[in-house]
Amino acid sequence: MKKNLLWRAILVGFVIILAVILFYPPKDKIHYGLDLKGGMHLVLQVVTDDAVKSETNRIINIIRDELKEKNIEYETIPPGEIGEFSIQNFDPDKEGELKELLDDFKDWNYSITGNSASFSIESGAAMYYREQSVKQAIETLWNRVDEIGLTEPTIQRQGGYGTDRIIVELPGVENPEWVKKIIKTTAFLEWRLVKAGPASDMETLLKDFEGKAPDDMEVMRGDPKRTQGGYYLLDRVAHVTGNDLRDARPSTDRWNKPAVAFRFSPEAGKRFYKLTSENLNKPLAIILDQKVQEVATIESRISDTGIITGTFTAEEVEDIALVLKAGALPAAIKYLEERTIGPSLGADSIRRGLFSIGAALILILLFMVFYYRLSGINAVIALLLNIIILLGTLSYFKASLTLPGMAGIILTIGMAVDANVLVFERIREELATGKSILSSISAGFSRAFKTILDANVTTIIAAIFLFQFGTGPIKGFAITLIIGITASMFTAVFVSRLIFDLTLSKRKKREKLSI
Amino acid sequence: MQIFKQPDFNFMKYKFLALSLSGILIIIGIVNITSGKGLNQGIDFAGGSLIQIRFRNAFPISELRQTLKDTGLSPKIQEVGKGEQEFLIRTMLPEEEADQELEAHLIMATRIVDSLTTNEDRAATENGLKDLNNIDINVLTQILKTSFPDEAQEIAKKIIGARESAEFKGIIKDFDQLIDKGISRDTTENLKKTTFLGSLTVKRRETVGPQVGYDLGRKAKQATVWALIGMLIYIGIRFKLAYGVAAILTLVHDVLITLGIFSFTNREINLPVIAGILTIVGYSLNDTIVIFDRVRDNIKLFRKYEFEKILDKSINQTLSRTVITSSTTFLTVLALFLFGGEVINDFAFTMIIGVLIGTYSSIFQSCPLLLFWNKIFKPKKGMGK
Repeated sequence: MKKNLLWRAILVGFVIILAVILFYPPKDKIHYGLDLKGGMHLVLQVVTDDAVKSETNRIINIIRDELKEKNIEYETIPPGEIGEFSIQNFDPDKEGELKELLDDFKDWNYSITGNSASFSIESGAAMYYREQSVKQAIETLWNRVDEIGLTEPTIQRQGGYGTDRIIVELPGVENPEWVKKIIKTTAFLEWRLVKAGPASDMETLLKDFEGKAPDDMEVMRGDPKRTQGGYYLLDRVAHVTGNDLRDARPSTDRWNKPAVAFRFSPEAGKRFYKLTSENLNKPLAIILDQKVQEVATIESRISDTGIITGTFTAEEVEDIALVLKAGALPAAIKYLEERTIGPSLGADSIRRGLFSIGAALILILLFMVFYYRLSGINAVIALLLNIIILLGTLSYFKASLTLPGMAGIILTIGMAVDANVLVFERIREELATGKSILSSISAGFSRAFKTILDANVTTIIAAIFLFQFGTGPIKGFAITLIIGITASMFTAVFVSRLIFDLTLSKRKKREKLSI
Repeated sequence: MQIFKQPDFNFMKYKFLALSLSGILIIIGIVNITSGKGLNQGIDFAGGSLIQIRFRNAFPISELRQTLKDTGLSPKIQEVGKGEQEFLIRTMLPEEEADQELEAHLIMATRIVDSLTTNEDRAATENGLKDLNNIDINVLTQILKTSFPDEAQEIAKKIIGARESAEFKGIIKDFDQLIDKGISRDTTENLKKTTFLGSLTVKRRETVGPQVGYDLGRKAKQATVWALIGMLIYIGIRFKLAYGVAAILTLVHDVLITLGIFSFTNREINLPVIAGILTIVGYSLNDTIVIFDRVRDNIKLFRKYEFEKILDKSINQTLSRTVITSSTTFLTVLALFLFGGEVINDFAFTMIIGVLIGTYSSIFQSCPLLLFWNKIFKPKKGMGK
């Protein structure tokens, strides 16, 4: 055997062994995509406007306090569009003092016309809060998925920095509706003092306040599931929130009804102690996601532990404890897309996919051997090797095999032999001109290579754009097609040539080539 | 074996016939898309829900339609497989409400499933029984544990395995079937007391909101256009601009005819179909390039020949390859079309059309276009590179 032949044989052997090691045993190494193993694919959108709104509210509260402290009188501070608010009718004599105060708010631009000041948030700062809300949402979602105990979840941003979309993929979810509910709950818990209510309508509620909620108060509705519904007048600012929680777990109240037990951080415990001490015998509301869950009269000073009662069922208590423990979402989320594949359909797709691959393989095998005889076997060997390399590469990149991915393998089977066909047809042409077998083979390979390269690069270009555009399963198709076609250039050119060289070198003088 | 010994067909003779035929097909297609039947956009692009349901007992499609109609729903229904047991149900909101948030679509989908759930199922659930056709393995294990503490997990695995097998396809028809699958009579009797066999199971449920649909549609168009531009550049560099333009026009021809066929057959355009179209673009170009490659070589070899004759010679020389590769690719996509199941069916259908059109167009479109370029622009340096 020629030395150069030996080296080529060793290289091919090495590639085969490497590929087999990479994907063997296939059960553990080949990852099925969501469409094959069943599960849930969600696309969420974080309502990042919420983050800017809540920052606006925070600043309004701070400004309100400072104005009070400095005795600057004003009429109202209404919020405007997202990231905007204004101070209406402030005392014109104190404009200088006001300006001094406002200059401290670096993130906000303001302008004064007459005796009103209007504010708008710096675009950079707004971006920052939006960005933070998406990051925090992803973190909270991870916590929740962990609490639920799902295996192999993936949560990632769609399209990278600056987008408000998150893709959540949860394989093998058994109870999709429940999981969706848990994921979507904002779970923002607040404790606020009740100033009036409950009342059946706004008018009765606000009759002591000249029909309008005072600036530092806000009207909220009761959760119809827990309370009689109706309206409550509450402090605008929450004294303690879910962010102050250290722990939450399902428990029962003194009548043995389901309740959520919670514990505050030490610092929040102090605040809560102060609040309860100063407001003994006054009503305190517990609010979850802008709905009053429970109003209780403060009977004693409480510092760090307590329970939330309400007319919860045992399951609801479990769910609330779970979301409270995992933390609140910084902004509401919306579902944009939801795909749930049941396990039986996935199993069915795997069976059908494998069967189609087998059928395609056998058809091609028969066709090639029938048409090209022994050279056809050469092509079939190259094709099988191509599939081995394809599977090895998929495992190496931990790429998921999807049903369209299987379609990609099938298409690869059909198109990978094209390289062989191009070569074989060239060899036949060369033979027809009366060249010897060996020089025909040599000329056939070298002439066809340029064509193979050009033809395959264009297919790969199409596949790359497909990969860019596609969602999960389609990406799987693009990946298998790219790998398969790239591998075909190696197998159909390098390996096939090697097989010709190996088989023909044994018998130097061959009269006829089986092609 | 050899199909063509020394082919010498005069393909270019049919250039006007082929171009006018294609032209007519394209125009008819475009007219049908713009002012006729239009394109049947699937939920991926139009937004909506797709639900795949399998019933325990045969449910004739007309009855199914009526049941849904009685609750004020009229979705598109398509039977899957045989036996009137499995269906694909597609719901979309009426056009004036199509921009509703995803929630509206989800509610529609839930209503469909609710309206098909039988009263017996509801009663059984209210009595605390669990639906064996929709139960997950962990819950089933818990149920079995009370009576069979040791083997609970094994039995549960067996039952769920049987339910998901090719034979049961996700639904257990009656408890006796379980006995056939090696579950003991004892266990089955026990299950009858704690569980019931629900009348349906939802195998797949996909809901796409209008926003995502709009984005996907935009991205699909972008991907197609950019892929074409990428190829134009590549061929422009490797060959000449003329070849690039001819190849791209051929691909546009392929895409337009495929869309036209989708419009006439009323087949749904969804993500897999777009993937199919992009693959056709790659495949058809593959074919075209093999011929162009020969043209490039032959220009050098036969300097005296007319360009038209060179084109004919190149097509003839590559004809065997064109036919063989088309056949192998056709065979594989046919296998996918026949055996791949309904999830991949649209893709396979696209590919089948694509392989046929791609093969035709690489011979009868790309070469005439190249010829016309040569006749119109009369490049000084010739068509070679």
